[in-house]
Amino acid sequence: MKAYTVTEFIEFLNAAFIEAVFPEGVTIEGEVAEYRVSQGKWIWFRLKDEESMVECFATVWQLRTPLEDGMQVKVFGRPKVYPKSGKFSVVVERAEPVGEGALRRAFELLKKKLGDEGLFDIGRKRPLPRFPERIGLIASGESAAYSDFLRILGNRWGGIEVNHVHVQVQGADAERSIVAAFARFNADPELADVLVLTRGGGSLEDLHAFNSEDVARAVFSSKIPVVVGVGHERDESLADYVADVRASTPSNAAEIVVPDRGEVEAAVDAAVRRIGAAMESEMRERLARVDRFVHRLESGVMGAVSSFRHRLRDFVSAVRTFSDGVSSLQRDRIRLIERLVSSATSWSGRLSDRLLADERLLSGLDPENVLKRGYAIVRAAGRPLKDATEVRVSDSVDIRLHRGALTATVTSKR
Amino acid sequence: MTSQIPKKKVDFGKSFEELEGIIEWFESEEVDLDEGIKRFERGLELARTCKERLKEVENKVNEIKVKFGELEE
Repeated sequence: MKAYTVTEFIEFLNAAFIEAVFPEGVTIEGEVAEYRVSQGKWIWFRLKDEESMVECFATVWQLRTPLEDGMQVKVFGRPKVYPKSGKFSVVVERAEPVGEGALRRAFELLKKKLGDEGLFDIGRKRPLPRFPERIGLIASGESAAYSDFLRILGNRWGGIEVNHVHVQVQGADAERSIVAAFARFNADPELADVLVLTRGGGSLEDLHAFNSEDVARAVFSSKIPVVVGVGHERDESLADYVADVRASTPSNAAEIVVPDRGEVEAAVDAAVRRIGAAMESEMRERLARVDRFVHRLESGVMGAVSSFRHRLRDFVSAVRTFSDGVSSLQRDRIRLIERLVSSATSWSGRLSDRLLADERLLSGLDPENVLKRGYAIVRAAGRPLKDATEVRVSDSVDIRLHRGALTATVTSKR
Repeated sequence: MTSQIPKKKVDFGKSFEELEGIIEWFESEEVDLDEGIKRFERGLELARTCKERLKEVENKVNEIKVKFGELEE
């Protein structure tokens, strides 16, 4: 029988394990024991059941799932004999907690770790655009979450683009496809002003991808603000905590990203009324001033015009009397004077017309007419109130309506 | 840009915020009449634009493909 050297033997074993016996790697389920991390880099633990145990090794970069003793897990890795020590261990590439208890524990551990790192800090949360034009939707195209989101979005708002990346929201590819979707949107910021990551509710196991470190970090490092809406009201995920805004459901995510068109329409109408009212009161004030001026002008000018007219008439008749039988040149001069008289008369007529028109305009702006349209005048201490800062809560104010008046107490100010 | 490109869509947010700015101006300043009339007319125009935009009911959904290759780092 051929004698192997020790090195040959170890090499043979490793080749056999890796190439012949477990070419795809191996998945082993067991309970974690003696878990430890050395130098912040190397993870060691044992995986055991009632009768046996196997050594496991991993690096902190490779094994992202937080583990602790007593946790039931499935580890995926490759068996290996270390030439220098002759020790046999499984080099773990990933681990999945098994059962609700272990999942819950892993969730808590990762939550604490990411929280300590500041991923959930309120201070880093960004405001969402008020009126997004493009929404990046990261959801499964077949899910109820997807259709709920689009339905509520359409009920509330229109005319925007929804750029959808279809992702797996559970199963083996979920994490990677969600991370890739975030990368895609961030590589092309033209696609979205805001991102929405959503799926329906589920068990902790179903929500695995939404509780993974990679997805949490993808949400955290997105340059575009992110809304995460998972499941029903009570479901929570780490992605929720990292999100700039957390939505309780997919429908709620739609309510958060777009305003309601009815409310905005009312705000636009109110804006028109407000600037209209401001403009009207300004005009009223100016016109009152013009009015006073015109009245002064009117009495002055009209007096002047009428005495001018009388004087002209006297002058003309005097000239006529005087000019019987005078030369045609003088007659031309008389006609010129007559034209002057008639144009002065029509000018004063136009002035009167204008004054009448101004008066009609002014009566249209009469506060009484404004009140008829549903406005009210609020007075505090007898003076019209224009600024909420001029009164205090519990002050009493007088409200004048079109019909009657009220005395009211200020209960709050905005 | 060529004339083939359809007219740029109204940026609703910008119009709405400009309208809010006009309200603020009217309510905070001693209004100059000429400037007031200008802003009043601009306000009405913005309100019209906003309301026109609010009539749009459809949202367009585009599918964005992510190649599996992009999944790798």
